[in-house]
Amino acid sequence: MGMMLAALEAVKRALDFLPNVELVTLLFIVFTLYYGRKMLLVALAFTLLETFFWGVHNWVIMYLYIWPLLILIVHYTRKHAGHFFYCILSAAYGLLFGAMCSLPYLVAGGPGAAFAWWIAGIPYDIIHCISNFLLCLILYRPLTAALDKVKKSEEAS
Amino acid sequence: MNKTKKRIAALVLLAALVVVFFLVYRHFSPRPQAGSKHVSVEVVDAEGASKVYETATDAEFLSGVMDELAASTDFSYEGTDSEYGLMITHVNGLRADYVEDGAYWAIYVNGAYGEYGADSQPVTDGDAYSFVYESAN
Repeated sequence: MGMMLAALEAVKRALDFLPNVELVTLLFIVFTLYYGRKMLLVALAFTLLETFFWGVHNWVIMYLYIWPLLILIVHYTRKHAGHFFYCILSAAYGLLFGAMCSLPYLVAGGPGAAFAWWIAGIPYDIIHCISNFLLCLILYRPLTAALDKVKKSEEAS
Repeated sequence: MNKTKKRIAALVLLAALVVVFFLVYRHFSPRPQAGSKHVSVEVVDAEGASKVYETATDAEFLSGVMDELAASTDFSYEGTDSEYGLMITHVNGLRADYVEDGAYWAIYVNGAYGEYGADSQPVTDGDAYSFVYESAN
């Protein structure tokens, strides 16, 4: 769990300078394929760690449902899904990220505030969508190969 | 439907969704008003002291007005680009860093809490913008 948390935090920090280009979605997908619902705890720990570093912001609420939702989708579709499905899933997740993140604004400021917030972020959501697709397309197989080795070594020890 | 056709259909659907989102953005995103506009920019510091700048501008977005004021008056600001746009950290030399100070620079437009960042807030004739130092606690 510590290693996964460290990997999530490291890739988030490494790509922070590129708005909405991130590897967190892909890592949550891949880790969930190997560790299942245990990743819900990692998602919670990741949110707490981010809160510790950056303080309490609106996105803390968003992280509390966005990453668990992704983990549950991956967990319950894993038997019927493959590489291409995860490319589409991560792309769709990127595209809908702003819409999903606007939910707290729906509660706090009403539909107008949530809609305005979502609209303002659409260009970034499109970047998020395309980058998520490409990153999953390129890095999914190397990551799953690496996790295969980790799993084998865990089982051997 | 075979696997390849399913994949193509999924890609087409995703691309269509991207296009729809882009069209929604084009249709509903805030539009700046062209031409010379008279606006005011107020800065309210941590003690509640206020300073108002009046200006005529052709800037489309508030950040453009801020740049013009910074070039022609004692107004100054600093900020960083983020995925949510320009995050203002300093106004007139006063830092409001959420992590360091537990405070932030709130933007008000005509007295109402702004819905956009400074670089996406459209400038309209007669608008009154305020930068208010607000404590998170």
